[in-house]
Amino acid sequence: MSGEELNPAAVAQPVEDVQGDGRWISLHTRFVQECKDAEPDVLFVGDSMVQLMRQYEVWKEFFSPLHALNFGIGGDTTCNVLWRLQNGELENIHPRVVVLWVGTNNHQHTAEQVAGGILAIAQLLTSRLPKAKIVVLGLLPRGERPNPLREKNTAINEFLRSWLPRLGQVQFLDVSGEFIHSDGTIIPRDMFDFLHLTQTGYRTVAKPLSDLLLQILEETSVC
Amino acid sequence: MSAEDPNPAATPTPCEDNQGDGRWMSMHNRFVSDSKDKEPDVLFAGDSLVQLMHQFGIWRQLFSPLHCLNFGIGGDGTQHVLWRLSNGELDNISPKVVVLWVGTNNHGHTPEQICGGIMAIVQVIKNKLPHAHTLVLSILPRGKSPNPLRERNARVNELVQEALSSLPHASFFDVDPGFVHTDGSISHQDMYDYLHLTPQGYQAVCEPLHARLKSMLEKPAEN
Repeated sequence: MSGEELNPAAVAQPVEDVQGDGRWISLHTRFVQECKDAEPDVLFVGDSMVQLMRQYEVWKEFFSPLHALNFGIGGDTTCNVLWRLQNGELENIHPRVVVLWVGTNNHQHTAEQVAGGILAIAQLLTSRLPKAKIVVLGLLPRGERPNPLREKNTAINEFLRSWLPRLGQVQFLDVSGEFIHSDGTIIPRDMFDFLHLTQTGYRTVAKPLSDLLLQILEETSVC
Repeated sequence: MSAEDPNPAATPTPCEDNQGDGRWMSMHNRFVSDSKDKEPDVLFAGDSLVQLMHQFGIWRQLFSPLHCLNFGIGGDGTQHVLWRLSNGELDNISPKVVVLWVGTNNHGHTPEQICGGIMAIVQVIKNKLPHAHTLVLSILPRGKSPNPLRERNARVNELVQEALSSLPHASFFDVDPGFVHTDGSISHQDMYDYLHLTPQGYQAVCEPLHARLKSMLEKPAEN
């Protein structure tokens, strides 16, 4: 990827209110306010995969005890997350870990561009929060059967696996393999619409993620 | 609007696979297959507000005991639900009640058109399931603060309630427990993104709905 070309997936962009009820800005505004009021140790940021987790029991079980904030917005691309983080959602907070999960909604971008967008967000986080560790979650497969979006998400994960180790504070956690059965299908028990996770599906992600977060928090804790 | 103009909200329309993973059709096919295998007493049909209900504890607590099936798909407008119910999802089942909750995603349609779409669905259900009663749920307010979509949804509710009042095989049921506070705001404790319900929000909606369904199911079947 040439250094002179602008990666569209790494260009910060808010979501336009096309529906008419201003919900995206309402959510962003609420998150900015939460930054003023709260002191999270862990910050989750991303799309609906992050947002929906907050509504299930797994959040209370695994992540509330870690003093975690959830800044997920359904439908967000890397561009939208980048804009939110540059416009207030990192002000006044000093999380020790940031969990980043975004990229599956970047329909206009190639796999390489999407990975570049995720990398740009990771770089923003490390520059704004020099003491924090970043955990980037791999994109999960989607769709009931093999399809081009599964291939794209796999390709994005491959780029991330290769690029992210160059950023010292960033780790990559990929649990995507857990979701595809031997016949190539994803089952509704894990993803109720072949994209969004059920309570059962979230458990498959939450357990290894929680283990990793506990390990990081212990390693970085001040005695 | 002239009487001859077709109503897009009342024209059966499948969802196009714009993203590339065929999820909508996968879900529809699964519902058609469920109709062949299962014998529900109650069928829920609609959009994400129906679909997400199935993911939280409230479903197992209140609706599983009533032998309910859930045919909700996120993003669906009336035209999509109309297509699904006309193309297999009502075949081979004879529920006593169909709960219909749809309309909030009909962006670009007027309240009259949306009402027309809902009434078209009520008619299809009557044609395919002559012994079922259809319970049409009110469309909830949305957005953090007052906005045009709240007005649109309220107007749809007025029109639908009026249109249903003369029908023996269908009724209107208002499920809004009072989500809009005196200052005009909706709380994220009830709707985490000012549209989709939290488990707490679902509790407030589903308890009265459950009571209504129980009383309907206890009555002898209509001839």
